[in-house]
Amino acid sequence: MTTETKQIPCLGALCACLCAPVHKPEGKYLDTLPGLTAILLAFLTLSGLVLAVYYDPWHAFASVGFIGHEVNNGWLVQAYHATGATALFGLVYLYLFRAMLTRGYRAPGELVWGLGVKLMAVLLLVGWLGFVLTGGAAAYWSLFKASNGALALSGAAGAIGGWFFGGPAGSGTLARLELFHAVLAVGAMAVLWLLFAARRAVVPRAEPGQGVAFFPYYLAQYLVALAVFALIFSVLAFFTPHLGQPAVNALPADPLTLPLGTVLPWYLLPLAGIAQALPGIWGGILGVVGALAVLAALPWLDRSGPAGAKGGLYCVFTWVLAADVIGLGITAAARNYPQASLLLVLFTFWYFFHFLVLTPFVTAIEAK
Amino acid sequence: MRRFFAPLLALGLAVAGNARAEDTLSPLHFQSDGPLGSIDKAAAQRGFLVYQTVCAACHSANALHYRDLEALGLTPDQMAGVAAGVKLADGSAATLDSPFKDPAMPASAFGGALPPDLSSIAAQRPGGAQYIYALLTGYATAPDGVTMLPGHFYNKAFPGEQVAMPPVLRDNAVTYADGTAATQSQEAADVAEFLTWAADPNLSTRHQIGLRAVIFFAFLGIVAVISKRRIWREGR
Amino acid sequence: MAETAATEAFGQGTESRRGFLTILTGAASAVAAGAVLWPLVDALNPDAQSESRARMVVNVADIAENTAKTVQWNGLPIYIRKLTAQQIAAAQAVVTDTLPDPADFTARVNAAYQNYVVVVGLNTGITCALEGNDPSDPRGDYDGWLCPCDGSQYDALGRVRSGPATKNLAIPRFTFINAAQIRLG
Repeated sequence: MTTETKQIPCLGALCACLCAPVHKPEGKYLDTLPGLTAILLAFLTLSGLVLAVYYDPWHAFASVGFIGHEVNNGWLVQAYHATGATALFGLVYLYLFRAMLTRGYRAPGELVWGLGVKLMAVLLLVGWLGFVLTGGAAAYWSLFKASNGALALSGAAGAIGGWFFGGPAGSGTLARLELFHAVLAVGAMAVLWLLFAARRAVVPRAEPGQGVAFFPYYLAQYLVALAVFALIFSVLAFFTPHLGQPAVNALPADPLTLPLGTVLPWYLLPLAGIAQALPGIWGGILGVVGALAVLAALPWLDRSGPAGAKGGLYCVFTWVLAADVIGLGITAAARNYPQASLLLVLFTFWYFFHFLVLTPFVTAIEAK
Repeated sequence: MRRFFAPLLALGLAVAGNARAEDTLSPLHFQSDGPLGSIDKAAAQRGFLVYQTVCAACHSANALHYRDLEALGLTPDQMAGVAAGVKLADGSAATLDSPFKDPAMPASAFGGALPPDLSSIAAQRPGGAQYIYALLTGYATAPDGVTMLPGHFYNKAFPGEQVAMPPVLRDNAVTYADGTAATQSQEAADVAEFLTWAADPNLSTRHQIGLRAVIFFAFLGIVAVISKRRIWREGR
Repeated sequence: MAETAATEAFGQGTESRRGFLTILTGAASAVAAGAVLWPLVDALNPDAQSESRARMVVNVADIAENTAKTVQWNGLPIYIRKLTAQQIAAAQAVVTDTLPDPADFTARVNAAYQNYVVVVGLNTGITCALEGNDPSDPRGDYDGWLCPCDGSQYDALGRVRSGPATKNLAIPRFTFINAAQIRLG
């Protein structure tokens, strides 16, 4: 440690932290997922700040077009932000799925798992708000349904909905949703920070004399992960900048003409599928809340205990669940097909059946 | 930033400089197709002529300005000439900074079917340029047994096969300055390329930078993997 | 002997190769980070619309003699006035030393297009839009502009002649593209 770093306490502490040989030497590349998520969140914040300079919620569609056509590199900043959202959900879904496969949610990782699910829930809301802010036809359709549904509720739920949307969907609605989008994004960063803190508390440390330091070992690993991530990100951002978004969102919102093909962006589709499968507004709300709740309750639904065996059968069922969630998303996007509503009910049923019935039984049987 | 990428674009201009269009109609293909496609500036310029002479009578394209035509290779004088030839609703001539003229006709003038804004039509419609070409060349006499709505035209490319837009493109509807034969299908293909550019003016730049970014990050990934392996091996 | 030398050389080779690789990785990463973040910085530069408006082209061919046209440019009202031959002669005859803010004819007009006066149409005393663009407007005693707020009077070249104001009207940056068009900015 040089004299300068000793004199600046924070820098010295940072250096000591980075150079402390406490990490286990068998780090996996996928362990960098939360770190990549944090970097991506920071990147999304930066690009979002630039977009906010030019974005006008009262003329949302026109200002989005203005950014794409008139602002220096505006199209690229938009591609950063849209592809960033896609990549963010890719990372979070992958992180949660990996924790399910490795069963990292079991004690002592319950808190980390719960925070991961909360992070996903907040990001889903942020992602939906960001989609709605584009002011396109599909975005307006989604906002229209959500705000009308919320305002139709009675009692406290209706009051909350009224407070959130501030009345029926109009141009002023987007002004407040822009604020919620930004505030909740900061909230997501706070949740991610808690996740890091909780993770640090439970990650096993290396035996004295056996560990390696972050610098240079894990820094080198992070660079590899970042380079691969940047490669995939470039392919998406430059060659499919509208991946997973409905093409009709390139149309301006018009309350009098709702075109065909108004679907949500890909990352919202599985949850939207569950919401559509259940009847009524309350069915939709309970479906979304329930789907997230059973996911968060996974550490307690798993009956195998902290030291239980990793059963092969349950692993197969976890893969089946992944297929089920993908099926939900595809069916929700194709909801105009005649069989779609039946399939949605089946997929939704399987989702809850997996968590509430299969998980306790199969894990309990396999733990014996 | 446009200045920053000017050398890249100059490359495209040199290629687009050949006077006469090569045959892109049989089989139909667009230079903007595919992951490495770029806007064919000569075709898009011809397409702009078709747009300005034919489409602009009923359609708006309010995301575009006359100054944006610089990206298609028009000189400032040519752009100013184009703008000066456009009479806006208040009677004054358009300037470089004006958005493309909005005919501002009520929907009732079109039997209720308001012509859509064409700024991003190629992005909105599945198939993009291919669909626009198919629509503009897809008019035919209605087969027996099809009852036509009043004021509609049979078009096999349009969903529902009945479109309120009359067939407007015909041979020699415009005269191309570069000597390309202005057949109906050539006009349709050119306007499709122009509308592809309108919907995504940065398509060429996006693909060029994208290719560079992918190559660079692939290189960085390989170097980072080798570097990481060495650091970890020597650390043990 | 030769063996140890070879080993040493080989050892130094790996050492320098690793150093080179580390530097290469670090430098390439820094370049990548810079290239990724640069568009975010560049996006805050003036956009195409602002740049186009900051360099506005005004058609002056349609201005009648003895009248002025108002255009809004960078938030300022720009008055472009076409002088009559008499006004040019009268303005050239004024003894500039007697003026509150001495400026001669050549300092107020473009040498090649002497019949056009381009000024910022705001009073230089208290800020207030001037009257006198149309021949029927009140123009004061000097056939120029009159401030309706404090009564300052300007001549046809925009030179202050009387009133609380002490400075001549500001002249914006502009160039004549040709006889019919000027570019502001």
